[in-house]
Amino acid sequence: MSILRVENLKAHYVTRKHRKVTRVLAVDGVSFQINKNEIYGIAGESGCGKSTLLKAVSGLIKPPLEVVEGQVQYQFDDRDLDLLTLRGEQERREIRGVRISHIPQGSMSVLNPVRRIRKSFEDIIGAHLGIKDKREFEDMVRKHIEALGLDWNVMHSFPHQLSGGMRQRITIALATILRPDVIFADEPTTALDVVVQRGVVQLIKTIKKEQQNTLVIVTHDLAIHANLCDRLAIMYAGKIVEEADAEALFADPKHPYTEMLLDSLPIVGDRTTRESAPGAPPSLVHPPSGCRFHPRCPQAMERCKLEAPNLIEVEIGHRVACFLQEGIVDENVQEFDAR
Amino acid sequence: MFKKFFIPRMIQYFTVLFIGITLVFVIPRLLPSDPVSTQLHRMTSQGQYLDPAAVEEMRETLQELYGLKGGMLQQYFSYWKRLFTGDLGPSFTQFPTPVIALIRMSLPWTLGLLLASLSLSWMIGTVLGGIKVSFPNSPFSKATELLAMGIRPIPYYIMALVLLILFAFLFPVFPMAGGYSVGSKVGFNARFIKDLLRHSFLPILSMVVLEIGGWFLQMRNVASNLVEEDYVVYAEASGLPKSKIVFSYIMRNAIVPQITGFGLNLGFVFGGALITEMVFSYPGMGTLLYSAIIAGDYNLIMGINIFSIVGVSTAMLIIDLLYPLLDPRVRYQ
Repeated sequence: MSILRVENLKAHYVTRKHRKVTRVLAVDGVSFQINKNEIYGIAGESGCGKSTLLKAVSGLIKPPLEVVEGQVQYQFDDRDLDLLTLRGEQERREIRGVRISHIPQGSMSVLNPVRRIRKSFEDIIGAHLGIKDKREFEDMVRKHIEALGLDWNVMHSFPHQLSGGMRQRITIALATILRPDVIFADEPTTALDVVVQRGVVQLIKTIKKEQQNTLVIVTHDLAIHANLCDRLAIMYAGKIVEEADAEALFADPKHPYTEMLLDSLPIVGDRTTRESAPGAPPSLVHPPSGCRFHPRCPQAMERCKLEAPNLIEVEIGHRVACFLQEGIVDENVQEFDAR
Repeated sequence: MFKKFFIPRMIQYFTVLFIGITLVFVIPRLLPSDPVSTQLHRMTSQGQYLDPAAVEEMRETLQELYGLKGGMLQQYFSYWKRLFTGDLGPSFTQFPTPVIALIRMSLPWTLGLLLASLSLSWMIGTVLGGIKVSFPNSPFSKATELLAMGIRPIPYYIMALVLLILFAFLFPVFPMAGGYSVGSKVGFNARFIKDLLRHSFLPILSMVVLEIGGWFLQMRNVASNLVEEDYVVYAEASGLPKSKIVFSYIMRNAIVPQITGFGLNLGFVFGGALITEMVFSYPGMGTLLYSAIIAGDYNLIMGINIFSIVGVSTAMLIIDLLYPLLDPRVRYQ
């Protein structure tokens, strides 16, 4: 059962200067579904629009970002919600933090530098539940952070007194204290060292298991995806180029870009030089014609320059946007028909 | 905490005071004119005949009075000695009134005037700046921004004169000049206080109107950078109410440089507001300094400067000591 359905979403950064309108097509026609209780990963190189996609589907849309087209539908247990029709600060506030929450990038500055950690918890709980009883509040927070393996004493600290990993754990605790239905994590492990990364990944898994919520993770780090995700989408230049179960995708990548990404990963014991994808990510202001990957694609055909391939299901649960796969689908269909 | 935080700052404070006060001693002595000769010249040029012996005697008395007796070093030590007893020497032009008495007379006027205008403009400017950043597109914020940008470049003396012409001459709502009505009795009673407020209204208004713009722009610039900060964006993503974000997340962080600015300006209060006091003939430190410069009254100039130096550096010391309370990232260590 799906909890989030995104259809043909187009989110552009629009800047107007002297009547000249510049559009950065950061998300340009993306459709996908996220099932309840799963961990859905979105991968891709820097500047492919994955963070923008996250902002658009989680409702953090502020100028210059504009949603031009598309639908973002949530199906919570008790109600359905069309995110893009939400109007007014109040309606959005009721969703944020309770239904949908964010784990931001593990950086220095996610916590207010002049507020003690305890105050940050008071702010978020006070905003949504109200704090009637101090004891009740303390019990609730204590239970939560102790379940995450944090010490109660950090509550009295200021953010700058904590290490980067500790801050990230606190942010995760803050994001999950209200048991949200969907958690969006944008590069949750970037800027942390590997040991801390492992801790953070474990923590996310623990919470997910305990709270039974749906998790969407965006990162360029395929190792994190391999470790966490049930399903994985690969983005390139504002579009999803491949989507499949994480295992299937790693075992049998179908899009040339995915193949390149996986080929670039180091393998222990293998001493041959790793190949990186040649070229650089394309400009999203003037994306290439046809298939956006064709200038870098080793198997590009004449057709790729003219037409853009659709994301089609080539195997059950495995969708690819590439003309190389089309023939295969036709064959499959013919085979099926012959039978 | 005491050793690492407090002591270095005290050392710094006293070093600044020492250097500043020493400079006040040195600079007038580098000038080519000699106040004693000037004074004697002024006396003899009035056509009075003076016996050379008497002139010589007078020169010595004057040197003694002005602290110009003996070598540089000797003068320097006696300068410090007198300073510690609160003696800044006599004024040359209002001889023999001591400088300290003149300052004591002018200081309350200036303090009242500048403290009032500084705190008013600071508060209003800061609040307006905060509103502007929190509601950038509201008509109110746009209007205040336009006003602040438009008024700020007006030269102060023009603003003061326009107000004076408008509200004291064309529509004589407020008095033209002075700190209080001539002939009124100075005292702590309702009538005198009302008179005082009436006289100080225009000078304060002229300063407040111009200074609001500066505080407003500083607040707006600092706070508009904070709006992009991760913790503000994250607070929005967590669904905190707007008022909470504005006060505890944006304003609370933007107030730190505002308070520093306030503290620094607090120090300058002791120097007086020269132009304001001139235009409105207000009996404060600025007028005093102006007349001292015109008349070449070195002792008085030195005295006012010493007050300024002590004022500015003490204000900075206080801000420095209070800083860890404002921003926990600055620690007492």
